[in-house]
Amino acid sequence: MERGFRGEAMKQPVVHIRHLNLKYKNNVVLKDLNWTINRGDNWLLNGISGSGKTSLAKIIAGQQSAVGEIDINFDTTSKLPARVLYVESWYQFKNLEGVANFYYQQRYTNLQFKETLTVKAELKLFGKENNLDFTEAEVLIDALGYSGQRDSQLIELSSGEHKKLQLIKALWLKPQLLIIDQPYTGLDVNSRKVLNRLLDEAAAEGVTLILISNDEHAPSAINRFALLEGTLVEVASAEELQLEADQPLREIPGFLKVPPNYSSDHIVKMVNINISYGEKQVLKNINWEVNKGEKWLLQGHNGSGKSTLLSLLNGDHPQAYTDGLYLFGKPRGSGESIWDIKQRIGLISPEFHWYFDSSSTVWQSIASGLYDNFGLTLELPYSKAQKVDELVAYFGLTDIKNEILGTLPLGKQRLTLLARTIIKDPELLILDEPCQGLDQQQTRYFNQLVDELCSNGMTLIYVGHYESALPDTLEKRIVLEKGTVKIIEDINVPETEPADFQQVN
Amino acid sequence: MANYFNTLPLREQLNQLGVCEFMENSEFADGVNALKGKKIVIVGCGAQGLNQGLNLRDSGLDVSYALRKEAIEGKRDSWKNATSNNFKVGTYEELIPTADLVVNLTPDKQHTAVVNAIMPFMKQGSTLLYSHGFNIVEEGMQIRKDITVIMVAPKSPGSEVRSEYLRGFGVPTLIAVHPENDPEGKGLAQAKAYCVGTGGHRAGVLRSSFVAEVKSDLMGEQTILCGLLQTGSILSFDKMIEKGIDPGYASKLVQYGVEVITEALKHGGVSGMMDRLSNPAKIKAFKISEELKDIMRPLFQKHQDDIMSGEFSKTMMEDWANGDANLLKWRAETGETAFEKTPAGDVKIGEQEYFDNYLLMVAFIRAGVELAFETMVEAGIKAESAYYESLHETPLIANTIARKKLFEMNRVISDTAEYGCYLFDQACKPLLADFMKTVDTDLVGKNYNEGKDGSVDNAELVAINEVLREHPVEIVGRKLRKAMTAMKAIKTV
Repeated sequence: MERGFRGEAMKQPVVHIRHLNLKYKNNVVLKDLNWTINRGDNWLLNGISGSGKTSLAKIIAGQQSAVGEIDINFDTTSKLPARVLYVESWYQFKNLEGVANFYYQQRYTNLQFKETLTVKAELKLFGKENNLDFTEAEVLIDALGYSGQRDSQLIELSSGEHKKLQLIKALWLKPQLLIIDQPYTGLDVNSRKVLNRLLDEAAAEGVTLILISNDEHAPSAINRFALLEGTLVEVASAEELQLEADQPLREIPGFLKVPPNYSSDHIVKMVNINISYGEKQVLKNINWEVNKGEKWLLQGHNGSGKSTLLSLLNGDHPQAYTDGLYLFGKPRGSGESIWDIKQRIGLISPEFHWYFDSSSTVWQSIASGLYDNFGLTLELPYSKAQKVDELVAYFGLTDIKNEILGTLPLGKQRLTLLARTIIKDPELLILDEPCQGLDQQQTRYFNQLVDELCSNGMTLIYVGHYESALPDTLEKRIVLEKGTVKIIEDINVPETEPADFQQVN
Repeated sequence: MANYFNTLPLREQLNQLGVCEFMENSEFADGVNALKGKKIVIVGCGAQGLNQGLNLRDSGLDVSYALRKEAIEGKRDSWKNATSNNFKVGTYEELIPTADLVVNLTPDKQHTAVVNAIMPFMKQGSTLLYSHGFNIVEEGMQIRKDITVIMVAPKSPGSEVRSEYLRGFGVPTLIAVHPENDPEGKGLAQAKAYCVGTGGHRAGVLRSSFVAEVKSDLMGEQTILCGLLQTGSILSFDKMIEKGIDPGYASKLVQYGVEVITEALKHGGVSGMMDRLSNPAKIKAFKISEELKDIMRPLFQKHQDDIMSGEFSKTMMEDWANGDANLLKWRAETGETAFEKTPAGDVKIGEQEYFDNYLLMVAFIRAGVELAFETMVEAGIKAESAYYESLHETPLIANTIARKKLFEMNRVISDTAEYGCYLFDQACKPLLADFMKTVDTDLVGKNYNEGKDGSVDNAELVAINEVLREHPVEIVGRKLRKAMTAMKAIKTV
């Protein structure tokens, strides 16, 4: 690949790509792609899962190579740093010893020694490396409602909070070319609006934007739109970026038509539950009951305590050993093991995905759900192996069942993990932002699957911010705000977030 | 108190050293039942204490923590660790009398004081659990005859005991029952149940004895694990500086090299590690490791002899009594080496480059692993025990060097390991002085393969491969590694 940098001539395009070609294994991903990004153009890019959006971004940012030519022309008269910054959709942080070897439940465990930097220290370090003025970061922190996280350690952050930290860094640095992969992932409704305003401001100051997203509500600075289908197809508006052609639903596997084997009518009962880390209280006086077969929507801002609440249900939180918590009809800490609990629950969350061992194959990952371990190599008895095969077929993963999970696009990984959650035909299905990072067509397909799967009487707790992207089956709603229960109610029209919640946001 | 091992007649010494049985999965079919509903009180809440307790509670067992009054009143870290994770905490007086099982997870050095303090409170017929046998074997601690004494020793740092458990797995574990203290014959059942509670049964469990665990553990940590990695690292760094290699590069190669190289060891044993080299490099590494084995064998034997006779623990306990004068002095000296003071440079070193440019360390590791294993087996320790305390643990220590270099590695390991490591290092460096004069940058700092055409004598290569693969540490290792195939790779590079 030829890669040139020039530093003059305002007339030159910011990025000029000619005859770019990329193959993954034997498949052509990018085919003779040409792209000119002129000054003043800000692009929104979309494409189906596996179309090479992330690869293209990385190629422009110099993090991946391909065949072809790329010229990047920085403006030498600009005060903005002559840099391309690529903000990835998944973000890997390291601990103080430089190791990224964390486990999923670690953020809930209270330890007296600090394993990771605090948000503030991380930002200070970033500012120092890039010669930035910290007062400018303060403005961004306030705008994105992030001041409460200043003293949090990186390990304690939820996926939405990690996303915000990345965005704060990017907007603070203001590179001449800023590429953001899935900027809205995990952000609540209000944060999305703030982000759009901040991106508009950055664009006004001369930052060229490339956003990779399936969201219709892009910043107003976005003036060019393209679909990636091997090559770039420019369209007129964000609406036209939406992908059509739903996948046909297949016949649901027989073992999932059978209702789960409930041992109690009561799935969850919480009486005045409080959870805190030192001085910081994350859940306050939570009272909530979930009975068998109910379909709940759980909502709340980033940092409102949703994932902590769910971790109590799944046996992942050390402070779950407390009075007032009942799971499957029994008080927590009455001799049950976390494996007994997990055996009845299927869970997926962005954090779970994040820490999942992605070095197993699709088939192995699904099979590992039978024993609640993380994708280990197992020898299954025939009847169980058959269930795995049925699910692989049902989710349309047969072609890729022997591929390593980590090498697949996000959407396929998510489908695999959804299959993993239901392999047990669990009593309770917990889907915490399961569609995060999926495009709209995938989201629709995914939610149709959820509706189908839950029709056998499975109990569901579903977390989702996006009003337009919820399954139909939801019937009750709990909203958290700053660690307390704000609303518990029945919902009739789950497609729209009721007005009061939008105001809350 | 007299050294317990030395009070035994020879046949009983050999008998206890020889307890070694790799347990079948089916032996754990009873799960945690032997401890279900029993009160487990853990003394100490550091990394092992907290993480083992979290696992046991998540396995459905009843766990609380007994801490010294000062730790509770002063709200020390151990108190915070326990209370902030919703564990019940109390003083020895409050909790020990209620305990069916008391778990001593305090540092070795405190064992005598702790056990003397808690024993009067322990109820009739209860059980005392150790995760290291030093106090019983070397210090000869006598436990009340109604009390059952068992050992469960996970062979990993506390944080890994927890993370592997939560992944649905565990870490390899040794279990043992003290033959002097098993009045009701329930020791083994409880040790197995505890092992299930911490997840160890999923990763391979070795039934051992207090004696075998101590004598092999001390040997491994002093020689191959800490001692030789320290000596090899410092000599390699100094050699590169002497020969004009960039100090930043040298520092990085040494800091991370042991981790990358031993990662291969972890998955494929010594031969797996050697197979990462080109044919000419393998032959060279083989030859120098043979030379290193000849030079260092007497030192390995001296360490094993001193451990068996009790000489080592006697000297170390004299230093404990002397306020750790030697330990602290040697620790300070480690902090002053040129390697410690040179930060790793901002250079990219590829994975294969760590092998090709650091042949000397590959040779050191092969020599050290095989020597430690051979010396232990010659002294009456069984092959499986010797494997765990040599090859198995080497990558774990290498991880800590990659993260924190040598000074911090020494602070992370136990004081006992640290003391032994310094003794070895001090004796080993002069022993290797002449050998090191023959070493040039082709062995450390530059690619050995550079300027060579890669041709070798076929018969010679076949013979060397045969020697490597048929070593007893490889034969037993193939069997044991099968039980831990899912152990996660720890990566920092």
